[in-house]
Amino acid sequence: MSINLTPNSIAAINGGDLNLKPLVQVLDIKQIGTSQERYRLLISDSVSTHHAMLATQLNDRVKTGRVKKGSVVQLIDYMCSDVQNRRIVVVLNMETIVLDCDIIGNPKLGDMTAQKTVSNLNSAQPGRSVYDNRGNIQSFRPAFNAQNPGSNNMQGLQTNPLLQSQGMQGSRPMLMVPNGSNGVLRSATGKNNNNTQTYAPTVQPAYQPPPSYRNQGPIMKNEAPARVIPISALNPYQGRWAIKARVTAKGDLRRYNNAKGDGKVFSFDLLDSDGGEIRATCFNAVVDRFYDVIEVGRVYLISKGGLKPAQKNFNHLKNEWEIFLEAASTVDLCPEEDGGSIPQQQFDFKPISEIESAENNSILDIIGIVISVKPSVPILRKNGMETQRRTVGMKDSSGRSVELTLWGDFCNKEGQNLQELVDSEMFPVLAVKAGKVSDFTGKSVGTISSTQLFINPDIPEAHVLSDWFARIGQNSAAVSISRDVVPSGSKNEIRKTVSQIKEEGLGRSDKPDWVTVKATITYFKLDSFCYPACPLMIGDRQCNKKATRSGTRWVCDRCSQEFDECDYRYLLQFQIQDHTGLAWVTAFQESGEEIMGYPAKEVYQLKHEAQDEARLSDVFRSRVFYPYLFRLKIKEEMYADETKVKITVVRADKIDYSSETRHMLDTISRFRRY
Amino acid sequence: MSFLCRFFVSEIMDTSNPAILVNGNLLPMHVRKRVRTVIQVLNSERGSVIGKSTDDQQLVIKGSPPSTPLTNFVEVIGIADSDKSIQAEIWTNFGDNFDASSFNQLCQLANAEYQHLFL
Repeated sequence: MSINLTPNSIAAINGGDLNLKPLVQVLDIKQIGTSQERYRLLISDSVSTHHAMLATQLNDRVKTGRVKKGSVVQLIDYMCSDVQNRRIVVVLNMETIVLDCDIIGNPKLGDMTAQKTVSNLNSAQPGRSVYDNRGNIQSFRPAFNAQNPGSNNMQGLQTNPLLQSQGMQGSRPMLMVPNGSNGVLRSATGKNNNNTQTYAPTVQPAYQPPPSYRNQGPIMKNEAPARVIPISALNPYQGRWAIKARVTAKGDLRRYNNAKGDGKVFSFDLLDSDGGEIRATCFNAVVDRFYDVIEVGRVYLISKGGLKPAQKNFNHLKNEWEIFLEAASTVDLCPEEDGGSIPQQQFDFKPISEIESAENNSILDIIGIVISVKPSVPILRKNGMETQRRTVGMKDSSGRSVELTLWGDFCNKEGQNLQELVDSEMFPVLAVKAGKVSDFTGKSVGTISSTQLFINPDIPEAHVLSDWFARIGQNSAAVSISRDVVPSGSKNEIRKTVSQIKEEGLGRSDKPDWVTVKATITYFKLDSFCYPACPLMIGDRQCNKKATRSGTRWVCDRCSQEFDECDYRYLLQFQIQDHTGLAWVTAFQESGEEIMGYPAKEVYQLKHEAQDEARLSDVFRSRVFYPYLFRLKIKEEMYADETKVKITVVRADKIDYSSETRHMLDTISRFRRY
Repeated sequence: MSFLCRFFVSEIMDTSNPAILVNGNLLPMHVRKRVRTVIQVLNSERGSVIGKSTDDQQLVIKGSPPSTPLTNFVEVIGIADSDKSIQAEIWTNFGDNFDASSFNQLCQLANAEYQHLFL
């Protein structure tokens, strides 16, 4: 049994037919390249041969022996490039059809690719063009660029999948054919020899008229400027492309150090008139070229850049690709008239009420009126670095307010600006692009490195909002979604009975459960109802860490300071009961004071200094058997080797009979249906 | 219900002579029976008090109110002697703040699907 390879496929490939998906035989495999592992195949169509480079993502096919000398393969995806008058074929994807096979036909070694050409390939510039048989230029960009020093550096900086493993398997490059007509090839694929078995390719190529090989005149390079395409159409298989876009964000110049030495990088975000967005990144020498050229708000014509998958961890733009600019890339400033149709910024605002249901760590844009600004507080980060934090309260027409946490530079620049505006009662509109949702205390939004803040932006949403605020908003109450306290009666409140806490396994997921329970205090744990706390201030908050005795004084580990008097804060443990069951809960200072009615210090003194047992038990006894509407935070925690479900009383409200009745009537009406 | 708690606190519980919780619309269904309701005092004279029921109907409460001054809302227990009047035996001051709509819903529930809980 012998196999028929696709006749004349070598000539067809060289002629520019990239859709043939021919069957060829691998006559030889050689490893080339000093710094990078590259394989060079000698492929045959049984009559002629040609060298083809194997894309590095296919390297393991050779290494694991899935392709050997003599293997018959189907070339699924491949490109032709022209380097110094040599035609180089690059195989991007192929399928091994027959692993071991004798040499088919009588191929002549028609294309002796010299070592020199291969090394040229290694240092080749992107944006090579290829010629088809009629002298028309079809430009191709090799989507992989293993030789590019820039991309290699990035591996040290970020966990970036190599360009080569982009998932190009099976996908076909899109040809930018200026005048899209190909000639006709007379092919003999239709005829079957009776004696030989025609091996049908496993992937049927789509019908395409094969190119003709009539030679026509000298080959000319297409010098026409690349067409401007929408950002949304950009992909690595694009031929020559150009985009016209406005810079919406410019990142900082960052220096890094990895195995290959020192490097620097910066990125900027682009927006075009169709609303498409994409990030562009420059490394090392390219940074020097463009860092000063790029200005936020100006429009540029950008071309001849590479495309790779976007890193979702850092890049929150809605595009699966990112541009990386290289030595051959061009960035030309456009006059402002050109960019008339390109907006300054693109937002996708969500109402604050929707933040409640947003996923933790998701990125979104919000706009609101700033109603409060707290002073900056120094925060010690996990890596030991100190940074600033500042909280800003925002509300919008959805009737909800949220806390926006500013980090780092935002505190001093925009934060200070906002403070001054709020202090002078000129409550500004603040638009946040790319803020991160956090569920640390209720739901809040924090800034990240790619966040942008716009104070009183000149956009329609801002005008609508300030109008709403002037007429209604400044006098209306807004429900905060950011405190851990959610006022009763709001839609968010989940009512549970005591038994449901255990029955439903509340607190066992990775996020704490917040519920409201109406129950009565039935028993207080009398020993250790409070702890000595450090009274020193850290920013605008008291330290409150447990202080330890140091002779006649006290010392705090966190503040590393001694002080004479410590504060006493509640750590109240008690039992609550309702008609379904009982549970142990813990209340801290705020809710503890609400329940006890006395500050912790007084009760402590009663116990330890006055030693008045009688009065002490009186105090506790007087607080027992009162019903409360408890707001509970339930979370499973590890203690030594066990996990225990801990219930914390975040708030204890006296029952308001009127609203409680209404709540019960409401519950009854829902019960009624069954 | 919180209202029931207040009833039990304010009088000796006498289950031998239960009173039906009514509002203005339900009163006609229980003429000649012992009823209880809460009214908002509109006019107070010797011998009778004109009150507004929790469903905005005008009721006449006959009998002698207690010597202490009546607050805005008063609960009366007595025999319903017509569609619109009650011969009150027991008067209880319910203060000036009262959630009339909740009481009204209570009356409806007590006379409809949850009747069995009250009689």
